[in-house]
Amino acid sequence: MEGLNLKPGDRVKIEVNGNIISGTVMPRSAYEPPDAITLKLSNGYNIGVSLKGVKVLEVEEGGLNIPIEEGEGAEEIGNGPRVLILGTGGTIASRIDYRTGAVRPALSAKRLVEMIPELPNHATISVKTLMNELSENMRPAYWKQMALTVANAFMSGYEAVIIAHGTDTMHYTSAALSFALDGLPGPVVLVGSQRSSDRPSSDAYSNLLGAVLFSTKAKLSGVYVAMHGSTSDDVIAIHSGVRVRKLHTSRRDAFRSVNSRPVAHVNVNSLEVKAEATGEEKEGKLSVYPEFDDSAFLLKFYPGIRDSFIDAIVKEGVKAMILEGTGLGHVGRYVFERLNRFIKMGGFVGMTSQCIWGSVNMNVYETGRDLLSLGIVPLGDMLSEVALVKAMWGLGNGFDLHEIMPKNLRGELRERREVEA
Amino acid sequence: MKVGFEIHIQLNTTEKLFCSCSPQASDTGFFTFYRRLRASPSELGEVDPAAAFEMEKGQKITYVAGNKTSCLVEADEEPPHEPNPEAIKSAIKIANIFGSVIVDEIHFMRKIVVDGSNPSGFQRTAIVGLGGSFTHRGKSVGLTTICLEEDAARLEKKEKEGPVYSLDRQGVPLLEITTEPLELSPGDAESLARNIGRTLKLTGLFARGLGTIRQDVNLSMEGHGVVEVKGVQKLEQIKKVMEFEEKRQGWLIEVAKRLRERGITEEEIDSLSPVDVTDELLRSSSGKVRDLVNRGRAFGVRAPGFESLIGSEPIPDARLGLDLADLCRLFGIGGIIHSDEIGKYGLESDIISSLRSKLGLKESDGFLIAIAGEDQFARCFPYLKERLKAALSGPIAETRAATAKGTTRFMRPRPGASRMYPETDVPTIMISSKMKEEYRLSIKSWDEMVNDYAKRYSLPRQLAEQVLDSDFAGWFDEVLQKHKVQPSVVASLVAQVLSSLENQQAINLGEFERLIDAWEKGLVSKEAVIDIARQMAEKGMGFDQAVGSLNVKPLSVEELRSIIKEKLEELKGEGFSEGRLYGALMGRVMEVARGRIDGKVVNEEVKKAIEEAKRSQS
Repeated sequence: MEGLNLKPGDRVKIEVNGNIISGTVMPRSAYEPPDAITLKLSNGYNIGVSLKGVKVLEVEEGGLNIPIEEGEGAEEIGNGPRVLILGTGGTIASRIDYRTGAVRPALSAKRLVEMIPELPNHATISVKTLMNELSENMRPAYWKQMALTVANAFMSGYEAVIIAHGTDTMHYTSAALSFALDGLPGPVVLVGSQRSSDRPSSDAYSNLLGAVLFSTKAKLSGVYVAMHGSTSDDVIAIHSGVRVRKLHTSRRDAFRSVNSRPVAHVNVNSLEVKAEATGEEKEGKLSVYPEFDDSAFLLKFYPGIRDSFIDAIVKEGVKAMILEGTGLGHVGRYVFERLNRFIKMGGFVGMTSQCIWGSVNMNVYETGRDLLSLGIVPLGDMLSEVALVKAMWGLGNGFDLHEIMPKNLRGELRERREVEA
Repeated sequence: MKVGFEIHIQLNTTEKLFCSCSPQASDTGFFTFYRRLRASPSELGEVDPAAAFEMEKGQKITYVAGNKTSCLVEADEEPPHEPNPEAIKSAIKIANIFGSVIVDEIHFMRKIVVDGSNPSGFQRTAIVGLGGSFTHRGKSVGLTTICLEEDAARLEKKEKEGPVYSLDRQGVPLLEITTEPLELSPGDAESLARNIGRTLKLTGLFARGLGTIRQDVNLSMEGHGVVEVKGVQKLEQIKKVMEFEEKRQGWLIEVAKRLRERGITEEEIDSLSPVDVTDELLRSSSGKVRDLVNRGRAFGVRAPGFESLIGSEPIPDARLGLDLADLCRLFGIGGIIHSDEIGKYGLESDIISSLRSKLGLKESDGFLIAIAGEDQFARCFPYLKERLKAALSGPIAETRAATAKGTTRFMRPRPGASRMYPETDVPTIMISSKMKEEYRLSIKSWDEMVNDYAKRYSLPRQLAEQVLDSDFAGWFDEVLQKHKVQPSVVASLVAQVLSSLENQQAINLGEFERLIDAWEKGLVSKEAVIDIARQMAEKGMGFDQAVGSLNVKPLSVEELRSIIKEKLEELKGEGFSEGRLYGALMGRVMEVARGRIDGKVVNEEVKKAIEEAKRSQS
C-alpha cells in the first residue's frame, strides 16, 4: 500500500484488467499480506485487491470517521435501587472497531438503556469503565483494583455492583472477589457474554438484564456470576462465585455450577427471579482483604510428568502448590519424593481433582493415604481454580494456609453433594 | 420500469459452507430452542432501518435443530469453520463462465438480518466476482456481483409469538448472481431469468429440487427507490409481479402529486400525534365496531390530505390502505379502520362527526384508527408516521413479498449499506491467479442438454425441456432409477401436475413416488396415473386417499366381462344398430373402466362380446 501511497479512508477509483472499481480503502490486519488493499464498495461489501497490475485512476483523501461512543459520564438513569455497572473489558464491555481492529470500551449508561429498554424500570444505573482488558490478560493486581472499587461503591451508597467481564477467566475473578470482600452488604454480580454485543444474537443484553434483576430483587449478598442457563434467550442462571466454572469454549451456557445448583434463575421474559438456594448472607461490617501473592502454582498431574519439573517450579520460589490430581485425589508414586521435599522446606501442597465434578477423598486408596502422610492437604470439592486463587489470597494477606485452606470461608468447600446437582 | 434480478441458487456441495453438516440428510432427533434478536449499531454506529424495524416487532424466534443437518455452528453456539473449499471452487468457476473479475481476496461480511432467518442475526456473504455479462436475445446483460453466501434457515410456520425456523437449510452454500437494472418488458424479464437459471443448471454445480433456486426481483421507477420483491417462487410470477408493481408504483406517484397539490408537507405529518378515540367508538351500536374495540384501545390519527387516497386502487390490492394495515399487522395490530372504508362499519353519522372533530380533521383529510394495546401502538406509531410521510414522495425503497396471485405485500423497510460489517471470525481467503485460471468449466448449450435428456429417456423434446426447467428434474432421475416405468408418463406427471401447482413447497414427493410404485406393481393402470396425481395435487391428498376417492380400483378381466355384459344388455334395450354398437359399447364401458384396466384389453373384450352376441343371435 505504501508504494501507491494509499491510506485508510481514501476514496479511490482503480483499474484492474480493464475493469474500473471504486471504493474506500480500509485498514488491514497485520495477518493479511501487505501487497494488497481492502476496499469497501458502495454496497457495503469488502473485497481484497492485489496491487500487482492495478492502476490507480483517482484518489480522494478521506480519513476515517470513526464514530465516537458517548462518554460514560456521571449520569444515572432509571428508577429504583442504585446499581453500579463496572466495565473491565472483554466481549461484553467493548466494541471492536472493524476499521482499525482496535478494541474500545463501549459501555455507557445511555447505550445500555437504549439496548435494554426494560433496565431503567428496575434500577438506577450508572456506568464506570475501570479497565479494558481481555479476560486472558487479567492478573491478581486487577482483582485488587476491582475489590477496592467495589468496596468503595458500597460505601458510597450503591446497593449492588455489576461487573462486565471477559468470560475466559471470569470464574477466577469471581473467586478472587469472593475472598477479598468479607461481609458484603449487597450483591456483586459478574456478567459476560459469549457472543459480542455487536451481533443481533448477542447474549450480552439478556445476561445483563438478568444480573440487574437478580441484584435488585433477590436480596442476596455475595459474589455471583450471571450467564445463560441454556442455549435459549430465556433463563439466566446465577452461580455462586466460588462454585462456577467455564465448561464450554463457545456455548452461551458455558458457565455451570459445579457440585451444586445455581443460586437463582432469572427469567428475562417474565422478569421473574427464583432463588433456588439461600446465598451466604453475611451480617456485619464489610472487610476488605485485597492482596494476592502470585507465588502459588496450579499443577495438573498427568501420567509421566517429569519429577524434575517440580524442582524447577520450587526453585522459582513457589510457596503453595495446588495439585489437580487424578480421581479421588492421587498423583503417581514417582513424584512423591519431590513433593515431600517441598513440604519439608515449608511449602503448602493442597489436593483437588481434575475430574471437576465430585470431591477428593484420600482415604479410599493406599496412594491417597500415602499422600496424606506426606502432609498433603485434601481440599474436598473445592474447584482447583478456586483453590489456587484462595492460596494466592491467603499468601497475600498473611493467613496460615494450613488453617484456612481446608476450611469453608465463602461456600467454596461443602460437605454435602446432592444427588441431583 | 427498471428490473434487476438477484438469483439465488444452492451449490450441491457435500458439506455446508461453514461447518461439516450435510445439506441433504434426512433428519431424526430434533432439538428446539428460541432466541430474541436485537438490532445493534453497525461499524459506522448506525442502526439499519430494516433491522430496527424487525427488532421493534419484539418476536420470540423458535428454532428446530436436527442432529444430522445442523450443529453448534448453525445454532450460533460455535464460531464458523473455514469456508468450504469446494464451494469456493464452484463460485470461481461460475464467475469465470460470466467473465466476472474475480477478487484476489474473499472477505466474508456479516449482513444484518433480524427477522430470525439467521440465528446469528446476520447472513455471511462475500463477493467472489465483480461485473461480467450474460447474453440474452442478442443483448449483453451486465452483472453487478457474484456472491457466495450461506443460505438462511427455512421458515416452517408463523405462530402468534413469532416465527418457527428449521435449521436444515441454514448454512447451505448459495450463489447469488445480481444483474444490473435494465429497462425490460415483463415477458423479456421472465425469459432473462429463465435463461440465467438454465445456464446455471448446465454447470451441474447446483442442487436440484424444491427451493434450490429462488429469485428476488428489484423494480424501480425513474427517480424513485428500489422495491425489492422477495419470494418469487415461479418464473411465471415475474410477469404478473412486474405488471402489478408498475400500476402500484404509478399510483403512488399520483398520490404524491395529489398530496402536494393539497399543500401537505413533511412537517405537518411529523407533528401528528395519536388521539384515544375508544370512548367515541364505544357509543356506536354497530356490532362490527364494538367487536373490534373490545380487543384494545382505539387510537386515531389524522391523515392530512389523504381523503380518498387511502382506499383507492388502480388494480385490486394496490391501495395504500393495505400497506398501512400490513405495517400495523407486523406489530401484531390486527384491527385498522380508515376513513375511505368507514362506510363498511355501519358507524352512526353523529359518531363520525364527533370523531372528525376530536381528530381535528380539515377538508380533504383522512384518518386511521388502530385497535391495539398502548405499548403496541407506541412501537408502531413512528413507522406509521414515516409511511404517511413517504407517500409525499411516491414509491419508496422497501422490501415486499410476492403472493401466489402475483401481487406484492409490504414486508419491511429496505436495508442499507450500514447493515454490512466484516465477519471477523472467518479468515481472508486468497485467490491465486493459478486458481482463477484453473477453475474453469466447459458447458454444453441448453439445446444440447435438452436433446441429450430427450434421447436418454426417449421423451419428446418439449417434454424433456419442461422437466429440466422444473424443480423436479432431480426427483425425475431418481424415480426412473428406482422404478422400471415408462419415462414419458412420469415426465407428464412433472410437467402437467407438479410444475403447475402454486404451492410447490407443500408437495409431498414421497406420496407421488408411492403412486409410481403402485403403477409399477400393476396396482394402478398407466391411464390412471395422471388422474390420481392430479387429484393428489389439487386436493392435497395422499396416495391412498386419492385412489379411494377416484374409483380407480384396478379391474380384473372377469369384472370387466361382467361390466361389458351389463352394458350390452342396456344398449340392446335402447335398440342400437349393429354398425353403431361397437362405438357405443366402448363408450359406456370406458366410463367405468377408464384407468382401471389397460385400454387394449377393453377393446379386445368388447369385440369378443359383440362377436359372441352376434353368434348367439344367429
